Amino acid sequence: MKRNLFLKILFSYLVIVCLSFFILDLLIKDEIKKVMTGKIESELLTYAELIDLNSAQKMSEQLKQIARISGSRVTLVDAQGKVFADSGKDIAQLENHFNRPELQEARLRGKGKSIRFSQSIGVDMLYVAIPMKSKSQITGYVRLARPLDDVQRVIEKVYQSIFLAMMIVMVIALVIALVFSYRLAAPIRAMERFTERLRQGEPSGTIILKTSDETKKLADNINYLVDELQSQIRLANEEKSKLMTAFTSMTEGVLILDAEDKIEFVNSALSNMLACQYGDINGKTLMEALRNVDLQKAFLKFRQTHATVFEEVTLGSIEPVILSVSISSVHNYPGEEKVMVVFHDVTRLKKLEKIRVDFVANVTHEIRTPLTAIIGYLETIQTGATSSNEDVKKFIDISLKQAGRLNRLVEDLLVISKIELGEIKFHFEEVSIRDALEGAIPLVEAKAGLKKINIHSNVQENLPQLWADRDRITQILVNILDNAVKFTPEDGSVFIEAEQKDNYAVLTITDTGIGIPKEEIRRLGERFYRVDRSRSRDLGGTGLGLSIVKHLMIAQGGKIEIESQLGRGTKVSLFFPLQKV
Amino acid sequence: MEERRHTSSHYEMELQEIKNALIYIGVLTEKAIQMAMQSLTERNSDIAHKVIKDDEEIDKMDTELEERCIKILALRQPTAIDLRFITTAIKITGHLERIGDMAVNIAEKAIQLNEEPKLKPYIDLPRMADLVAEMIKDSLDSFIRSDLRMAEKVRQTEQVTDDINEQIFRELLTFMMEDSKSIHRALLIMQVSKNLERIADHAKGIADMVTYMVTGDCVRHQTYPLDEKEPA
Repeated sequence: MKRNLFLKILFSYLVIVCLSFFILDLLIKDEIKKVMTGKIESELLTYAELIDLNSAQKMSEQLKQIARISGSRVTLVDAQGKVFADSGKDIAQLENHFNRPELQEARLRGKGKSIRFSQSIGVDMLYVAIPMKSKSQITGYVRLARPLDDVQRVIEKVYQSIFLAMMIVMVIALVIALVFSYRLAAPIRAMERFTERLRQGEPSGTIILKTSDETKKLADNINYLVDELQSQIRLANEEKSKLMTAFTSMTEGVLILDAEDKIEFVNSALSNMLACQYGDINGKTLMEALRNVDLQKAFLKFRQTHATVFEEVTLGSIEPVILSVSISSVHNYPGEEKVMVVFHDVTRLKKLEKIRVDFVANVTHEIRTPLTAIIGYLETIQTGATSSNEDVKKFIDISLKQAGRLNRLVEDLLVISKIELGEIKFHFEEVSIRDALEGAIPLVEAKAGLKKINIHSNVQENLPQLWADRDRITQILVNILDNAVKFTPEDGSVFIEAEQKDNYAVLTITDTGIGIPKEEIRRLGERFYRVDRSRSRDLGGTGLGLSIVKHLMIAQGGKIEIESQLGRGTKVSLFFPLQKV
Repeated sequence: MEERRHTSSHYEMELQEIKNALIYIGVLTEKAIQMAMQSLTERNSDIAHKVIKDDEEIDKMDTELEERCIKILALRQPTAIDLRFITTAIKITGHLERIGDMAVNIAEKAIQLNEEPKLKPYIDLPRMADLVAEMIKDSLDSFIRSDLRMAEKVRQTEQVTDDINEQIFRELLTFMMEDSKSIHRALLIMQVSKNLERIADHAKGIADMVTYMVTGDCVRHQTYPLDEKEPA
């Protein structure tokens, strides 16, 4: 930068210097020549006139002397042009001079001159001639000739001085150019460094220059621009961080597709929703990433209509999430259209809705079945279709049994709603696990005996006491054990184990029963939820047992976990808190 | 220059669309298998009928995709990897279409089985169906990502499904020997198992095509001649 500027300035200086000397040369050279020649000419004329004053005879004798004094060659020519005396050359060899221009000019105008290149000497010669007259009759001519190399010599001398001056000026120009370019480049260099730092994103502040010329103005402008730019960047960053915070903290999943339909951005909510079921989805298309036909259809519809599309899709197969999706275009990017897909997790809503619908359907169904039976039998008795007392007694027995079942159902429902409303009172006390088991196992032993199922209880004595309601624990254990026995085929086994895990005493009841399908496990504990409807009702249950257990466990600060393998058996883990709640 | 880049990016989009369409068909076939199995395990023939009806869409997509591939071949005249990609895509969609047909077969068997009492709880079959669906997904993923390791995984899983098929075969044989009334149902279940095994073969076929696409080497028919596994 600096070198460049310096060279430019230097070059322009040199051009100016050279040009001025060239013009000087043009002007001076001719002038010198003219002045010098005129001076020589007048000098020669003077000599010529002086010669003219003498007589011709005398002249011939003095010729050599005159020539030496005047520094010129003197030639005397008669009126016909014949040379009759010459200071330099032998007159016999000289031709007639009548036609020489200076003689002709002298004849006509009284004096004549001519500059010719002399072949014999090799320099320009100045010839001056005047006529010699006697009584206004031209009797001859005096001609003086002098080489003009004096003039040349003077010019050369002058040129030498001029060249010297030129060199000096050039050196001065070089120095000036150096200083000037340095002075000029310094602020520019400062600004350059400043903007370079800025470009690399360093915090830069302002640039201060000591100059007060145009560069100062430029620096001011740069400062202003930097200020402006930085406030813009700050603003943009603020906006961006606001947006990012919104994206990351919102519960809806957001996904942005770039102009090539590839996923460009996924917010954390969506990553959580997808729960790494899909791996890294950045840079893939929707279809590649989520592999969902409904979503792809919705997306194609959006591509066709360019209007926001709403759709409900179910993602994932093991733990499906139901998402309400809206696809819309992002208008902020001109030129390339980006697409924003917003996912709203409605799994819970849908699940609750399903539970509610199922619950109503189940309650009515569960209530209607015994009621139909009761009404049927009572109607039979009323219409007197049967008269035998035995039948009537049998019918009443069945009706009573069904009414009892109905009663149990309502009781169970009441228990659940009481627990849920927090109306049930727990009598917390220290209960040992062994005591609780000893209270519960005999109640199911009879049933287990019928199916030849062995109940193996393996509980160490050194386990800490539970803090719970003794009766409720018995209720829970009976329920779970009853289930275990109920769903285990003949000759199976039920194992009871206990251990301490963190702050919980964990009681695990494992059976070798029919197991529960994986996708059903998370629905267990819902009211009236049955894995195999026809079968479990045959085994006599209200469909509320596990639900009650779940609620009782939660109400006592514990929890229940169920693992199962289809055809192998089920493992129920009851977590009782050890600390007082 | 601007124009060329535009067409090239358009070409890129066309290839991407083929990828998407393949996954689309793949997902449909996976779903078809899952639904056919669901209809079997839940004894719900409605689902089976839906599978049979949905197969029309798979067939339609298959034809469409093939046409699209041929169009690219004709208009773009792809070379090297792109050419192998297109030809592989054509073969893969053929495989997927056949898989869809087999899901229909399973659905048809399910309808027949659902009309009769349950022979035994289905345990190995759903496990096999899950494996098979996974294989289709993996084989397509390996295609999309040109992932040879995934293709190799599919080839290994195919062995597992063969073993399960053998096991189901032996188990059903004992049922048939014990009770001649169970023969019809056992045979139907056997066909379901056989169909699943065939689907696994097709998934392996896709994986082999992927290996061809990526390396240019043909690995088909290497471990065994495919014909030996054809059902009689």
